[in-house]
Amino acid sequence: MNASVKPIDTITAAADAVVSRAEARFDAHRQDILRSTDRMFAALLVGQWVFAIFLALTVSPYAWQGKVKTVHVHVWAAILLGGAITCVPVALAMLRPGALLTRHVIAAAQMFWSALLIHLTGGRIETHFHVFGSLAFLAFYRDWPVLLTGTVVIAGEHFMRGILWPESVYGIPNPEWWRFLEHAAWVVFIVVFLVLSCRRSYRDMRVMAERGAELEALSENQWRNSSVVDRAAAESAARRG
Amino acid sequence: METQGQQTRAMRVPAYDRVVVRDGEGKRRQLSRNEFERLPLRERVTYLIGGTAEFFAGTEHIPASEAMKG
Repeated sequence: MNASVKPIDTITAAADAVVSRAEARFDAHRQDILRSTDRMFAALLVGQWVFAIFLALTVSPYAWQGKVKTVHVHVWAAILLGGAITCVPVALAMLRPGALLTRHVIAAAQMFWSALLIHLTGGRIETHFHVFGSLAFLAFYRDWPVLLTGTVVIAGEHFMRGILWPESVYGIPNPEWWRFLEHAAWVVFIVVFLVLSCRRSYRDMRVMAERGAELEALSENQWRNSSVVDRAAAESAARRG
Repeated sequence: METQGQQTRAMRVPAYDRVVVRDGEGKRRQLSRNEFERLPLRERVTYLIGGTAEFFAGTEHIPASEAMKG
């Protein structure tokens, strides 16, 4: 070792290296989760698109105008609107996996899918469960702001469609004006717990990375001590000749 | 899965509840476990690499390698 280098300097340098490696491990772990969740949603979005087309073809394939049979607007909605909702987030998941924009676009798209499926099933209350399932899937990101994006999108969509076309969202033509607030309240109820869960998961990931750094630091300490002992033993043996 | 030996060792070595650290000038400072764990990671790692953190459960000294397992 260079005599001008103080032990405290080498300890500081080693600590910096250990901390940098811990941060790199944490970032890699987080990126891995974000990217795999992006991929999961890409598959889910395409699956929902196929399912929506199947649903439209099964439930209401044709409309009648007098004696003229036409393809029902629901089929076109499933194909075209569903395609529009799906293609951007899937492209982002393929081209920019792990990026902040990608997961927020996916969150919005997933909520628009809930809205479209609710519409295609005539506002069935059971289809509203898709919203809750989607929020739970979004929690896989362990990034709570994504849940806020989803909440704002679905609450805004319910509010607007509740005014413009209430039957398509609630299944009845004249719901109370505050019905969207009731739905939004249940969404907020689950989102509060999912946000807490995301924050805890994030903290656990951080603690795991820090625990790894501490163990690495201990190992570094043992290596340094053993090296000193080895050097002393070697010098002693050399003196004995 | 923990082996019986690991369980026995885990039972023998209690979790630390306080830490005594020495800074570069040799000044000693006593911290609770919570205070130690809230130190910035760089500071904790520096103590561990330098061997300047001593771990205790009550009055019993705990080796750093055992303390970090609990």
